[in-house]
Amino acid sequence: MNESVKKNVNEKKPPLLANLRRRLTADEMFHETEIQANRLGALILISSGVILLVILILTALGVFLLPLESVFSPAVQAVAEIVILLIFCRAVKYDAWWLKPLLLIGLVIVYARLDSMLTHKAAILMVIPVVFSSRYFSRRLTIFTSLLSTVVFACSAYWGATHGLINLNIVTFPAGTVMTATGGFLGEAIQNAGATDEMLIANTMMFDYLPKWLMFSVVSIISCNIARRGRNMVITQHDKDVKSARIESELNLATSIQADMLPNRFPAFPDRTEFDICATMNPAKEVGGDFYDFFLVDDDHLCMVVADVSGKGIPAALFMMASKIILANNAMMGKSPAQILSDTNAAICANNREEMFVTVWLGILEISTGKLTAASAGHEYPAVKRADGSFELFKDKHGFVIGGMRGLQYKDYELTLEPGSKIFLYTDGVPEATDAENRMFGTERMLEALNSASAAGPEQILQSVRAAIDRFVKQAEQFDDLTMLCAEYKGMQGEKV
Amino acid sequence: MLTIGKTVENGKAILSPAGRLDTTTATELEGMIREVLPDTRELTLDFDKLEYISSAGLRVLLSTQKIMNAQGEMKIIHVNETVREIFDITGFSDILTIE
Repeated sequence: MNESVKKNVNEKKPPLLANLRRRLTADEMFHETEIQANRLGALILISSGVILLVILILTALGVFLLPLESVFSPAVQAVAEIVILLIFCRAVKYDAWWLKPLLLIGLVIVYARLDSMLTHKAAILMVIPVVFSSRYFSRRLTIFTSLLSTVVFACSAYWGATHGLINLNIVTFPAGTVMTATGGFLGEAIQNAGATDEMLIANTMMFDYLPKWLMFSVVSIISCNIARRGRNMVITQHDKDVKSARIESELNLATSIQADMLPNRFPAFPDRTEFDICATMNPAKEVGGDFYDFFLVDDDHLCMVVADVSGKGIPAALFMMASKIILANNAMMGKSPAQILSDTNAAICANNREEMFVTVWLGILEISTGKLTAASAGHEYPAVKRADGSFELFKDKHGFVIGGMRGLQYKDYELTLEPGSKIFLYTDGVPEATDAENRMFGTERMLEALNSASAAGPEQILQSVRAAIDRFVKQAEQFDDLTMLCAEYKGMQGEKV
Repeated sequence: MLTIGKTVENGKAILSPAGRLDTTTATELEGMIREVLPDTRELTLDFDKLEYISSAGLRVLLSTQKIMNAQGEMKIIHVNETVREIFDITGFSDILTIE
């Protein structure tokens, strides 16, 4: 019983204020717009204040023919209001839900005060608040500002008719009226000649305020349009940003998935002493079309694959995943390299409307004998180092790329590796790595880098080539995926422990 | 990065791409080929000013060759050393007619 009473009391607390605050608090996506518009408002206030002071000074110096007494007080009040508004702005660093209505109402009041003083001389002041309000990109706010301006400027016109600069065009006198100059402004002579307050006010509202208001309403319509268009632009941009962010995070996830697909734990076969193998793949974009693969088909056969899909990015990555799996499945069935390539080609050509293709080098090493059987489908020449020699390009015979044409048959070739031999496979990203002057790394430099580290193990050899590429390319952007694989055959040196 | 010269008359078309044929520029070449292909019986690609071709460019050549195999003939002339090597290594020199 007591609790429900307490709840009611709390609910009665300031719902009006909270409600107002809720209505005025911008959506997340318009928060930035609002802060920018608040800053613009402060800028308008500062400029207006400066202009006012300049007018005051020029009037005091006699440059502007205004009666200083009637101008001085309202001008100073307006400057004071401006300063107070600016203090509020700075205090909250342009970021508070109440700043927007405060600025708009404040501007209307400041300009209305000046309007009451300068009347027809300051006709333009009426449009400033409503044009400024469009910067908030809120049609409702612009309409509110229009209505507020309509009412407040009507009041200032009313007041200014009898207290501000007299508008000489709206006073009518009977023909033959004589006016006597009293040594002051013409306005005084007119008032002394019988212009009544009622006459001044009526004429001001009909012939001064009303036409001005009609023009103002055109500006108001334009401002509403700007507010609405601006709002739509912000919303569209926000949607695009959200979409971009989602795609980016999906791409990052795809990068991880792809990286995990390639064997990446080294040393790869720590319990095998007969050989050592290492490989790396660096995509040019978040996901790439190059891949490598290696696995034991059985205890005595190591299969190695290096491949390069046509293109880069997401399409190449998808094609890469499919090719890798088909190749591995065929290899695990114990087929020869040529047969693996032929069967893979058949499978890929069956579903290849986009006509993508992949170059592949596939080799199967018989570990007990060092006999390497391999086949190439349009892939780069491997670099081979014999036991007591240096790395040289091995210009193997090769068939057409996989996925290019149905029904192609590939051919095996054989290479016998003596203990101490090394083989280096790569994709065209290595020789075609480009520096800022569009020069390519080339196979010459690649062989140099290989031979400078030829005595080391596969991992160091790959690092040496990578370092040489980095030194050559320097700041230029990586244009193509970089893939390298290096294997060393050590022979049957001792029994496996 | 890539400008393509074009001469068309009487079912014969000669296209001369100048610059680099890579992922971004390959779509331009593909677009121009698609324009001239319907009425062309003899397509000649003049690679005199072509500096470099990537796999994206090879893909365009492959699909174009397949189409021309059905409706006429296609040949490539004035191939430079770099491009020639790429054709050889990838086996494209067996598929394309290079003079």
